[in-house]
Amino acid sequence: MDQARTQNVRMNRMKGRVRAWLSKPANIILLIFLATLAVLTLYPLLSMLTETVTIHVGREARAARLPAGSLSLYHFQRLFATAENDYSWIQFYQPFLNTLLVSVASSVIAILFGGVVAFLVTRTNLKYKKFVSAVFTFPYIMPSWTLALFWETFFKNVNIGLKTSNGIMASVFGVYMPEWFVYGAFPIALVLGLHYAPFAYILIGGILRNMDANLEEAATILKTGRGRIIRKITLPIVKPAMLSTFLLVFASSMSAYSVPVFLGSPVRYYVLSTKMKSLMDSYPGQAYIIVGVMILFGVAILLLNQRVTNSRKQFTTVTGKSGQISKINLGKANRPVAVILVVILLLVAVVPLVTFAMESIIIKAGDYSPSNMTLDFWIGTNLSERLDQGDSTGILLNPKVWNALGYSLGLAVTCALVAGTCGILVGYGVAKRRGSRLASWVNSLSFFPYLMPSLAFGAIYLAMSSKIPWLRGFLLLGLVGSVKYLPFASRSGVNAMLQLSGEIEEAALITGVPWWKRMIRVIFPIQKSSFLSGYLLPMVSCMRELSLFVLLVPTSNTILTTMLMQYSEKGWAQFGNAINLLIILVVLLVNFTVNKLTGASIDKGVGG
Amino acid sequence: MPEIILKNVAKRFGKFVAVDNLNLHIESNSFITLLGPSGCGKTTTLRMIAGLETPTEGSISIDGKVVFDADQGINLPPNKRDVGFLFQNYALWPHMTVYQNIAFGLENLKWDKQRIRTRVNELLKMLKIEQFEKRYPSELSGGQQQRVAIARTLAPGPKVLFMDEPLSNLDAKLRMEMRAELKRLHRDTDSTFVYVTHDQLEAMTLSTRVCIMETGVLQQFAPPLEMYNNPANLFVADFMGNPTMNFVDGHLDQDGTVRFGGMTARFEHAGEPLAEGDVVVGIRPEYIHIDEDGKLEATVYSTLPSGMETTVKLDVDGTSLTAVVFGDVDYPVDSKVKCSFHKAAVLFDKATGKNIGKGKLVL
Repeated sequence: MDQARTQNVRMNRMKGRVRAWLSKPANIILLIFLATLAVLTLYPLLSMLTETVTIHVGREARAARLPAGSLSLYHFQRLFATAENDYSWIQFYQPFLNTLLVSVASSVIAILFGGVVAFLVTRTNLKYKKFVSAVFTFPYIMPSWTLALFWETFFKNVNIGLKTSNGIMASVFGVYMPEWFVYGAFPIALVLGLHYAPFAYILIGGILRNMDANLEEAATILKTGRGRIIRKITLPIVKPAMLSTFLLVFASSMSAYSVPVFLGSPVRYYVLSTKMKSLMDSYPGQAYIIVGVMILFGVAILLLNQRVTNSRKQFTTVTGKSGQISKINLGKANRPVAVILVVILLLVAVVPLVTFAMESIIIKAGDYSPSNMTLDFWIGTNLSERLDQGDSTGILLNPKVWNALGYSLGLAVTCALVAGTCGILVGYGVAKRRGSRLASWVNSLSFFPYLMPSLAFGAIYLAMSSKIPWLRGFLLLGLVGSVKYLPFASRSGVNAMLQLSGEIEEAALITGVPWWKRMIRVIFPIQKSSFLSGYLLPMVSCMRELSLFVLLVPTSNTILTTMLMQYSEKGWAQFGNAINLLIILVVLLVNFTVNKLTGASIDKGVGG
Repeated sequence: MPEIILKNVAKRFGKFVAVDNLNLHIESNSFITLLGPSGCGKTTTLRMIAGLETPTEGSISIDGKVVFDADQGINLPPNKRDVGFLFQNYALWPHMTVYQNIAFGLENLKWDKQRIRTRVNELLKMLKIEQFEKRYPSELSGGQQQRVAIARTLAPGPKVLFMDEPLSNLDAKLRMEMRAELKRLHRDTDSTFVYVTHDQLEAMTLSTRVCIMETGVLQQFAPPLEMYNNPANLFVADFMGNPTMNFVDGHLDQDGTVRFGGMTARFEHAGEPLAEGDVVVGIRPEYIHIDEDGKLEATVYSTLPSGMETTVKLDVDGTSLTAVVFGDVDYPVDSKVKCSFHKAAVLFDKATGKNIGKGKLVL
């Protein structure tokens, strides 16, 4: 009797506890995301790992002299320890070292360039500040291959690389640049560094902007010189942000694909990502091992970054809100510095667009005289009668282009909606249950797709979809895009939610406002611009994405970026440049419209 | 009018015990203060009663209705408990105007428009914030925001009102003003108030009963003056009152003689004679008088005159004592004065810190 009662009490206590746990929406959200993300990220990871020990049909099976489908460590042995013909050196170690070199160099460039500009904008009386800060994020908004393509088009000449034609530098100015300048490690690192410099600008600038001026003033009172203040006070405070930037740029550069393809492949300069793609067709097992190495790198960087950002908290306590920052007077140096900066920014952000526009209207490559120009590639008709290659209409009259644009936009909007909304929910759950194990699992899982190189991610989903008949076309692309861009959205979601004190929601809870209404009427409106940034970043990224979708599109005419790639492969340079310009303009247009209408901006999404 | 009963309530976060075996009977219509240093579990207790936090053990009932019972698996959500909650930093919704902030909860209760309008106007008038109706919270001063937060909390007419350090963000002058307002509000609304603070003066002046806690354990639950005059233990004695009580280590003999800090006195008190042993003698500063007839010789160490009263630090034969003298008096530093003990002193057991008797020290 008594025992039955204690049993009963225990049951009730259990039930009560479970009910209390489930009554919190944050817990349910976290549970759902834990399950979903485990399937969407861990399953691909596992299937990738099995690929590394599976012998695939074709060349692999023949080379290994093993039946297709059998399990073996052959790929590891082949990739890591084959001395004959320097196979391992060429296929793995050389690209690996190249990756390290390029990634480190691009991180340093990004920090130097972005950090210096951030310092000039926040801490000095630099002229043209508005222009500088507006244009500085341009290179990040534009597709990463833009600069690479621009670099190649501008500097290429008949002496180097594919030796096909002269670029502007050679044909207009008659200057033939050496090969190391146009192709290989130097331009790859430089272009990636410039592309990711906005990371440094946003992260370091954010700290500098919020840094309590009293810290520097206290040093000034103690009769410390300007230079010493910067060295001994400003730099140490910014150091964690610099480290964070370094790791972020390193990870991004490591998995970058399109830049090394444009600037490395013509001279057989390989990094891990391009090596992986070239191995994928013939020796997928080895390609997947490279993917694994890249993921390992990514995880290590993520862990490092977490340690850095955790120790960063000791600094955020000292950043108060005092607004009067004594700006350094640049004096006579002001104008020259400002002009140099504006020129660099024009070169990086504006000149490429002009170049693409030029290249899309000249008939014969290398000849920039007015008589060689035409708008036919944009709006011409019956081109096939006059040209020996390409489409018969200009891209603006070509229904294929419009279809692809519509598809790209639809895909971008879908991915943005799914990833952005999930990001807010993840942010809500993680912030509410901060410190719990469940929350940190979901947080890490939602960041994981960031570490998967896009190309590999696409390849894995391709393999996955072959087993699921209904996962095709738009559905597949939308799913891949949403998962891949979730990290951006969940980052800004978590940041936004952490800034919001829990009391704000509890004040509504206590008057009986249901959860969905609290989200829509209270939480979302308060952090509107941060949340919308969580939608914007996936949208912009999706619009310009190539490597993620390239293996998954039903035909290459499906979306604009694959169409662009197809045209460049065919050598239809003018059409390609025109489409490239179209993509960039659409991306910029979307970004600035959303920014003007809602106040959301890319910088809010990149929160290291 | 509702009473609140807590039975054996405990809250644990993993191994950390935030609140341990708490029993409280909060009478209807009372103004209860949960008092203690930060981290003592007072806010957790408040949030558990409100339903924002789920206890690990025990049961809670409000107005005769069980709102939580671990053994029966009962746990009503906060909105079903008919309570109001005033947050420390107000938690006003920044994107809504003052009017919308107050009306939001009512809209949610499906009140009709006219009724909401009337109720909001009533509250705006009561808290003297009519002119701010259309403003956003960021356009208001701290004190005005506080009033809006109170209006929002009062709007649905909750029977119980919880407040979590609501005055800690205000400046000293405004705090005094709001204290008076809150006390008045308690009378006017006819509801039960539960108030969290770490400020003993706030607890003393506002509440009908104070519940003082340390590291999750209830130390004493009594009316403020009783707690002041007859504290249950050293912790309570030390926490209540400013300047704090004087504590001097000593020894109590069988015959009632106390020797402490070079002084000897007889401890006179009603009731059973006390057992011999080591004690701590507690004397309130205002019960040490400086007068010509005093039997103790003391040297003035320092003085803090405030106009209304002067806090004097004395050195009696190497023992430091704090005295409060009322009126605008001052003494030269290092001068010799005479002093004596008046009214009550409290003896605490040296080992346990427990109050063992209240009486008079006769030199």
